[in-house]
Amino acid sequence: MQAFDCAIVGAGPAGMSAALALTQGGADVIVLDRADRAGGQIYRSASSSPLPDAASLGPDYAAGADLITRFERSGAKHLAGADAWHIGDDGRILFSYQGDTRELHCREMLLCPGAMERPMPIPGWTLPGVMTAGAAQVMLKSDAVVADGAVFAGSGPLLYLIVAQYLRLGVRVAALVDTTPRRHYLDAAPLLPRAWRQVGQLRKGLSLLREIRAAGVDTYRYAENLEVIGEETAKGLRFSISGQPHEVSADTVFLHHGVQPNLNMTRAMGLAHHWNNAQMCWQVTVDEFGQSAISHVSVAGDGAGIVGADGACAAGRVVAQNMLYHLGRVSRTGRDRNSHADLYYLSSMKPFRRFIDCLYRPTEALRLPRDTETLVCRCEEQSLGDLRAGFEQGARDPNALKSLTRCGMGPCQGRQCGHVVTGLLAQWRKESPDAVGYYRLRSPQRLLTVDELGRYNTIPAEAAK
Amino acid sequence: MFRSLQSDDHNLITLSVNGRSVKARKGQSVWSAMAVASEVVTRKAALSGNARSAYCAMGVCFECMVEIDGLANQQACLSRVAEGMNVSTQVITEDTEADAGL
Amino acid sequence: MKADALIIGGGIQGCATAYHLARKGVSVIVVEKDYAGRHASGVNAGGVRLLGRDMAEVPLSKASMEMWQTLDEELGHDTGFRRQSLINIAADEGDLDTLRAREAKMHEAGYAYERMIDQAELRDRLPHVNFDCVGGVISELDGYAIPYKATSAFRLAAENLGAKVIEGEEVLSLRRVGNTWLAQGSRNAYEAEAVINCAGAWADRIALMIGDNVPLSHAAPMLMITARMPHFAKPVVGAVSRQLSFKQFENGTVLIGGGAKGFADRANNRTRLDYAKLAAACRTTAEFFPNMRKASINRMWAGLEAYMPDNLPVICPAVNAPRAFHAFGFSAHGFQMGPIVGQVLADLVTGGQSRFNLSPFRIDRFDRKVL
Ligand SMILES: Cc1cc2nc3c(=O)[nH]c(=O)nc-3n(C[C@H](O)[C@H](O)[C@H](O)COP(=O)(O)OP(=O)(O)OC[C@H]3O[C@@H](n4cnc5c(N)ncnc54)[C@H](O)[C@@H]3O)c2cc1C
Ligand SMILES: Cc1cc2nc3c(=O)[nH]c(=O)nc-3n(C[C@H](O)[C@H](O)[C@H](O)COP(=O)(O)OP(=O)(O)OC[C@H]3O[C@@H](n4cnc5c(N)ncnc54)[C@H](O)[C@@H]3O)c2cc1C
Ligand code: FES
Repeated sequence: MQAFDCAIVGAGPAGMSAALALTQGGADVIVLDRADRAGGQIYRSASSSPLPDAASLGPDYAAGADLITRFERSGAKHLAGADAWHIGDDGRILFSYQGDTRELHCREMLLCPGAMERPMPIPGWTLPGVMTAGAAQVMLKSDAVVADGAVFAGSGPLLYLIVAQYLRLGVRVAALVDTTPRRHYLDAAPLLPRAWRQVGQLRKGLSLLREIRAAGVDTYRYAENLEVIGEETAKGLRFSISGQPHEVSADTVFLHHGVQPNLNMTRAMGLAHHWNNAQMCWQVTVDEFGQSAISHVSVAGDGAGIVGADGACAAGRVVAQNMLYHLGRVSRTGRDRNSHADLYYLSSMKPFRRFIDCLYRPTEALRLPRDTETLVCRCEEQSLGDLRAGFEQGARDPNALKSLTRCGMGPCQGRQCGHVVTGLLAQWRKESPDAVGYYRLRSPQRLLTVDELGRYNTIPAEAAK
Repeated sequence: MFRSLQSDDHNLITLSVNGRSVKARKGQSVWSAMAVASEVVTRKAALSGNARSAYCAMGVCFECMVEIDGLANQQACLSRVAEGMNVSTQVITEDTEADAGL
Repeated sequence: MKADALIIGGGIQGCATAYHLARKGVSVIVVEKDYAGRHASGVNAGGVRLLGRDMAEVPLSKASMEMWQTLDEELGHDTGFRRQSLINIAADEGDLDTLRAREAKMHEAGYAYERMIDQAELRDRLPHVNFDCVGGVISELDGYAIPYKATSAFRLAAENLGAKVIEGEEVLSLRRVGNTWLAQGSRNAYEAEAVINCAGAWADRIALMIGDNVPLSHAAPMLMITARMPHFAKPVVGAVSRQLSFKQFENGTVLIGGGAKGFADRANNRTRLDYAKLAAACRTTAEFFPNMRKASINRMWAGLEAYMPDNLPVICPAVNAPRAFHAFGFSAHGFQMGPIVGQVLADLVTGGQSRFNLSPFRIDRFDRKVL
């Protein structure tokens, strides 16, 4: 088995920045990512865009290409197409690479699995034609594929960004249905003065909205009671504003109301997690250096709590300093000195984050299903009504509910239903999400064929290299 | 309707989706190739048999599981197209019977 | 809190005992440190198996098997039980010899439910089996149930009859004062006339509180389950001399076992998996059923199970204290026994008698042996 000073899972902004700092500090580093190219979500394909005009994605995206180049030249070993399926707290990682399971060992382990979009279990959300707004962006960035005449619904900066990107590329958008409630503007207003320090970020957000308005896209604000219409596939979106019904026809409906950390890796390892009430999601419990209760396991970037791309870069660098300290390559004071500026930046980001989290807080109406028939578990087709029946049969714990109803047992391993189940049980038990808890997860992180696992441990050591 | 913003015809390969011959670009995801070809149904849901399609395009929903070259449960959004590849909508519901065996 | 009987452990043994006691009008409290069905009883392979049992267990297991056939109606809740038969495959002539010897022993004891099958019948019942396999043995009554559902069915039926199940309550100490057992839980105190130890992998600790020593060990058998596959195997499948064990549920998923053990961390309620052993289980499965090579493993896990040195359970009154009873140590095959164990314990608690010969299951059966 190959051994490294540091292994990083995820080559997004957090993982790449950490790798840069670690190699600069003299550590020997391997970075695994299932994608063919480094970049993560925001800088996906930034170094090899299939788009005729990648500049239309905005200056942030272009900046990614530079980070990727520096990362590729850093001397860190980047294993693209390596899908980690087991991450052990003993420093062992099992991953699929070119059809085989390989194994490596490391002294220090850094997990940067990033974020995923928060599921939006509204009626009809399982119909073909309904996707997340992030999906629109993934298809755009990696394959230059777009949907004409789509409706975008929800709230949050990422939603407005992708609409703007579509418009710049001349793709027709049927409507933007904004669900940010009026109340949130009032709640967020008092936080604005302190957030002002991040004036650049605020400007970016405002200019996106202006851009969308200027393009003349039908924009609906304060939308409620969303429902995808259609029998076999999506035919449009129905919603109401101040009690007035509205309908927009579209074959494609893109939903978005924020992102949440990818939990499966940190959960399967058994790390402690807590409920983040501002972001309405679970997040792994780590200290300011990203270090978990297991001292050689750290987590950085959106996977440790949503911080955005710049925050992920800073967090990656900070964690790297702490890992170098663990490896005996910098002193404690060296670590503190080297991470001072980034830690300061991260704390100065907080007021802005608080403002954004407050303004775009996911509403309960979109976080939790309302109709008994609406599916919570897409894989095993378990509806709100099914879960309620299970609860009434005594399954008060997410795992008991899972055992009884199969909710969360399918291939997505609870990624789509987990937060919803915590939310529902918290409501029904009248307890906090922390008291309710989450699924006990296990490796593998994804489906693994009997053939592949069967060959594990039989591959000769040289071939494994 | 999905379409590609790339108009040139470099690096095209041919694969089959549900028996239809489909052109796609080298390196493209199987899902986006299906989307552009209007073959959006990736699988049938296990209990109801309802049509499903890709939802997240980033590997976290498993809605895009298709059969690729005879191997089921392949995430189309994470798989890349290849010349001559055979892709089909995955139909494994609770009632699906296997072939006759021996 | 007071009751006639205090049951420690909300697994299938504890819940079934609660049900049978409540049926007899006994007031019952079950205390469970996590939630009912959290451990072995909720996460096991669901095998409801009579085939290949140790002779000492056969009478209990046979009686339990009869109860399984009508358990859903009796409890008024779904246990997921399906009678699908169980086949142990003979890979070669040596296996057939083993089966013939077993058959002779079974016939001598008067049991006829295990029947040898030839290659043609094997292929007919399992069309996807490896061509080289030569035959096997079948038990028609066998099948599977859904572990958590079955445990929960007993619990709900017991609650319907007035039993109380208290979750998140760990028994920390136990002592007898006068004619009463006093139990201190992590949250409440309990009093009962009789106490029943159904604490699974932790049962040696409860036994110690009662005053009985027992050479119990614990381990973490591992399981894997696949995503749904087209139906190809109705019977539950095992092998005579290999670590093969799988079953395809009605929903199409295939559960692969085989007895490989991971790492048991009982103190922390945790188990870890041994991937090299799971890989070996994959190879064995694919060897017997080549179509399984393409199966996609969806989840892997392990459960904490209690083992006795002779792989037979402890089912008996306590030796060193009055009005205390034990049922534990099922050594990875106690799920099937749940229904009858509940009845036997209820009989012991209320009448002091059982219609079964329980001497192989005494807690002190190792006392005189030099281990
Ligand atoms: C769909 C989507 C689109 C987004 N688009 C934007 C945007 O345009 N602009 C913006 O400002 N922010 C965007 N965000 C937010 C953005 O993700 C973060 O701000 C930033 O990318 C976080 O960086 P990170 O390094 O923490 O994680 P990520 O950039 O998400 O990187 C995580 C990496 O880990 C890899 N990975 C995960 N699990 C495994 C595994 N088991 N094995 C191997 N590799 C694995 C992934 O392939 C990925 O490359 C988006 C988020 C999502 C979910
Ligand atoms: C992976 C696996 C596969 C198996 N497959 C099969 C199979 O196919 N067929 C079969 O027949 N059997 C099988 N078994 C065995 C079967 O599951 C067990 O024998 C049976 O479930 C034991 O039931 P129980 O009630 O004694 O134990 P458990 O279900 O473990 O219940 C004991 C309970 O006691 C609780 N407890 C312990 N200490 C305390 C305390 N101090 N205070 C309060 N509560 C306490 C525990 O939390 C636990 O919930 C398998 C077991 C495992 C682990
Ligand atoms: S579309 Fe969600 S996993 Fe592929």
